[in-house]
Amino acid sequence: MRSISLYTERNTVIHAMDPISKLFYILFALLIPIILPSIKVSIVCVVLGLIFLLVARVFKKTIPVFSFVFLILLTVIIIQGLFRPGNQTTLFHFGPFTLYKEGLMFAFGVAFRVINIVSAFMILILTTKPSDLVESLVRKGLSSKIGYVIISVFQIIPEMMSSMETITDAQRSRGMETEGNLQTRMKAFLPLLGPVILGSLANTKERAMALEVRGFNSKGPKTYLLEEKKYRYSKVVQWGILLGIACALAWRILV
Amino acid sequence: MKKQGLWSLRLSTAALVLIPTAVGINYIGKLFAGLLKLPLWLDSIGTVLASILAGPIVGALSGAINNVIYGLTADPISFIYGITSLAIGLAAGILFYKGWISSWSKAIVAGLMIGLVAAIISTPLNIGFWGGQTGNVWGDALYATVLANTHATWLASFLDEIVVDLPDKLIVVLISFGIFKGLPKNVVQLYNTNNKVENLD
Repeated sequence: MRSISLYTERNTVIHAMDPISKLFYILFALLIPIILPSIKVSIVCVVLGLIFLLVARVFKKTIPVFSFVFLILLTVIIIQGLFRPGNQTTLFHFGPFTLYKEGLMFAFGVAFRVINIVSAFMILILTTKPSDLVESLVRKGLSSKIGYVIISVFQIIPEMMSSMETITDAQRSRGMETEGNLQTRMKAFLPLLGPVILGSLANTKERAMALEVRGFNSKGPKTYLLEEKKYRYSKVVQWGILLGIACALAWRILV
Repeated sequence: MKKQGLWSLRLSTAALVLIPTAVGINYIGKLFAGLLKLPLWLDSIGTVLASILAGPIVGALSGAINNVIYGLTADPISFIYGITSLAIGLAAGILFYKGWISSWSKAIVAGLMIGLVAAIISTPLNIGFWGGQTGNVWGDALYATVLANTHATWLASFLDEIVVDLPDKLIVVLISFGIFKGLPKNVVQLYNTNNKVENLD
């Protein structure tokens, strides 16, 4: 069964970090460009994020996500460059269109912010096993039921995908068309999706009973199957990040 | 029989187990829509179904967790749109509770209302994050046209969002209602937390 998680196994410093520290870094990447809204700060943050991705040796894995993001950013740059209200300074003309400096600068601001946030999330996603992340969060006080729900999604989706393949094959062998014009494709949607949904909803009953039988709802204190992982320097990194945010705030207020 | 409370926070095991299934249904819906190259997202069928079956709280949780999972597996930006999914779950749950999704004609109105809610929540997110665009080709073409002619970013962004959201949520609600009607009674009954247990001792 294939996994839907993007986690990539490597043996690097970033992989050995506490998942909570990576969440702190996401907070840092989100807040710093808001506190210090200058394009230079954004560039520094982007470079920092990219360095971490390189250190974690997962840069190649980010390419599909980044190429999707770049496609949207390209349209942002074009549309804002041409049509943004307040455009005044002409950069250059091509055909009937004029590209303006203000719109372009705004679009670059958007682009750096998006790349910054995406790379911060990619550091977490590519270097952390979902189950490790959820376990750390549960130890920090997340409801263990919500933890179960998140973990079980990673099991249910591959299961549903394989039943989806079976159903697609079955419907095709009965002569259902899944290619052709829009109407044919629309008509194919329900006979493909319906059985998967009905089957999975019927399965929830068994799943619920299996959990109940194992004391899922019991009030007693829960124990962990795995021993708590020891992460080094967690406190230092987390306080360091908070200090960085505080410094940025101070800079903004004082300077 | 008295109806169960709308905001009942008692999450039964059945309702909890429904959440990952709802997320799975969302995922599969999006996958099929992509596979069949349909011009819609169709990625909230599970959220709406969960809201119908187990109320707005479970629906909203399904929506939020759905985007967390998307964020962890495909596209980090969807974390931010978790707020929209949460609102879709809440809106669908409340509308169903009030009896607004009880026939095909009513479901059409409810679908449009949910689409409107989704567009209203998404527009500020689009403006703050992307400068107003949605990433959908047709919506963005409209955005560019409106922006060029009126210079109103908010109007352009709202229209950009709504041309995609209205038909998408309408079809999602209709599909969910159809599936809900076809569900066996013992599955529907599973989420009715008002069942009394009679003790025979």
